[in-house]
Amino acid sequence: MVEFSHLTKAYKKRVAVDDFTLSVDVPIFGFLGQNGAGKTTIMKIIVGLLAPTSGTITIDGSLATHPIFKKKIGYMPETPYFYERMTGMEFLRFCDELFEGGGNAQAHYEDLLKKVGIYGARDYEIRTYSKGMRQRLGFAQALVNDPEYLFLDEPLDGLDPIGRREMKEVMLDLKKEGRRIFLNTHILYDVEEICDEVGIIHQGKLLYSGSVKEFCAGKPLEERFVEVVEAHEAQKA
Amino acid sequence: MRNIFVIAKNTLKLEVREKILYGIIIFGLLYIFFTLFLSDLVLKELPMVKSFGLTGIYFFNAIVALFLGTTSFFKDVDRKVVYFILSKPVSRAQFVLGKFFGLCMVLLFASVILSVAYIGLILYEHGGFDTLGLLAIAMQFLEMALFLAFAIFVSTFSSSLLSIVYTSGVFFLGHVVSTILDAAKQIGLGGMRFVLVEILYYVFPNLEKFDARDLAIHAVAMPFTSFALAVAYAAVYIILLLSAAIWIFDKKEI
Repeated sequence: MVEFSHLTKAYKKRVAVDDFTLSVDVPIFGFLGQNGAGKTTIMKIIVGLLAPTSGTITIDGSLATHPIFKKKIGYMPETPYFYERMTGMEFLRFCDELFEGGGNAQAHYEDLLKKVGIYGARDYEIRTYSKGMRQRLGFAQALVNDPEYLFLDEPLDGLDPIGRREMKEVMLDLKKEGRRIFLNTHILYDVEEICDEVGIIHQGKLLYSGSVKEFCAGKPLEERFVEVVEAHEAQKA
Repeated sequence: MRNIFVIAKNTLKLEVREKILYGIIIFGLLYIFFTLFLSDLVLKELPMVKSFGLTGIYFFNAIVALFLGTTSFFKDVDRKVVYFILSKPVSRAQFVLGKFFGLCMVLLFASVILSVAYIGLILYEHGGFDTLGLLAIAMQFLEMALFLAFAIFVSTFSSSLLSIVYTSGVFFLGHVVSTILDAAKQIGLGGMRFVLVEILYYVFPNLEKFDARDLAIHAVAMPFTSFALAVAYAAVYIILLLSAAIWIFDKKEI
C-alpha cells in the first residue's frame, strides 16, 4: 500500500502539491489531471528526485525516502531523455548495473526489449530512435530490476495506436504478475481502460479518488472530469 | 563505491565516442608533429623541443578538460538523463563522484595519446627517454583534475556557457595569483590592498604549483617535497570543490 500524508511541495511563489493525502491499494492507479496539475511533481517526490516541503509518503509502512525502497521501484520519466550515443541494449545494461547485484545476463535485457517491442533496434544508437521507441525504451529500463512498484509518467505519450495497445497489454500482464502500477496521464480513454482506481488532481489538490465507474456515475469520463474541475474552480471563485 | 565506478565507466564510454574529443586530440598530435619542424628552427636544441612539446600537451589537455568539465555534468542534468540514474539506488554524491572520476579517465586517455606522441618525438629527435617530461605531464594531469573538479562545481549552479567563463577565469587567475602576491610583497603593498591580494591568493587555486615543465625542459629533477606538496594541494582542493558540488547538487531541484 502507498500512503501519501499531507504531502506539500511549494516553490517560491507557487504551491505545486497542496496537502495531498491519499491511500492506494489497487494494482493499477492512475493520476489524472491537466498539464501542470502536479502529477509529475508527486511522482518525482515518490521516486526521490524532489524533496517535499512537508508531508510523507510511505510504501508498505516504510518511508519512501528509505534507500531500500529504490530497489523495489521502477520509474519512467515523462518524455525520457537518454544518452544519445548509447545503444538501447547498452542503456539497459547501464541502468541495471546501478542496482546492487545488477548486471544480469544479456538474455534478461533481450527479453525486456522484446516485451516492449524494440528488440530489432537493440544495437542501434538511441539518437536514431523515434519518439515511440524512446518511450518503449524508457518503459523497458523501468522494468530492468524486476520492480514491485512501477511509476510511469505519461507512458503512452507519443505512441501510435498499435504501440498504445501493446504497452497497455504489457501493463495488464504486469498487473497479473502482481506488480503495482502508478501512472500519470491526461488521456482519459487509457485511464478508463486499464486503471482500477483514479485520483483526480487539479492545481496540486486531490479532488477525487476511487473507482472510475463510481466517478463517472453513468456519464462519460471526460464530461465528469470537466464537471469536477469546473466545480472546484467555481467554489474557489 | 560500486555505483561510482559504474557511472565513471559509463562516462568514459560515452565521452570517448564524442567526435569533438578526437578533434582536439588530432590537433594536439598535429602540433606535436609540427614540433619536428619547429625544432629545426631552433637547431634541434633539446630544451626548446621539450618546451614546445610539453606546452602543446598542456594546452590541448586544458581544452579537453574545459570541454569535458563544463559540458558533461551539465548536459546530464539539463537533459534530465539524471532522472533515470537518481531514481535508482544512486545518491547524488555518487553521481558527482562518478562523473568526476569518469572525466578524469577521459582526460587520462587523451593525455596518454599525446604523451606517447611526445615521448616518440623526443626518442626520434634525441634518442633518449624523457622521464622528467613524463613527470611534468603527470603534474599537468593533476592540475587538469583540479580544473575538472572546479568545472563540475560550477556546473552545479550555472549553465554550460557560464561554466566556461568561470572556469577559464579561474584557470587564468590560478596562474597569476602567486606572481601577484610576490609582486605585492616586493613593492611593499600594505593595508587593505595587501589583504585583498592575500584573499585572492588563498581563494583561487595556485596552479603554478603544478608547473614542472621548466624543470623538465632543463633536465632538473623536481624535489620530492615539492611533488608531494603539489599532490596534497591538488587532493585537498579537489576534495573541497567536490564536497561543495555535492552539497549544492543535493539541494538542487531537478
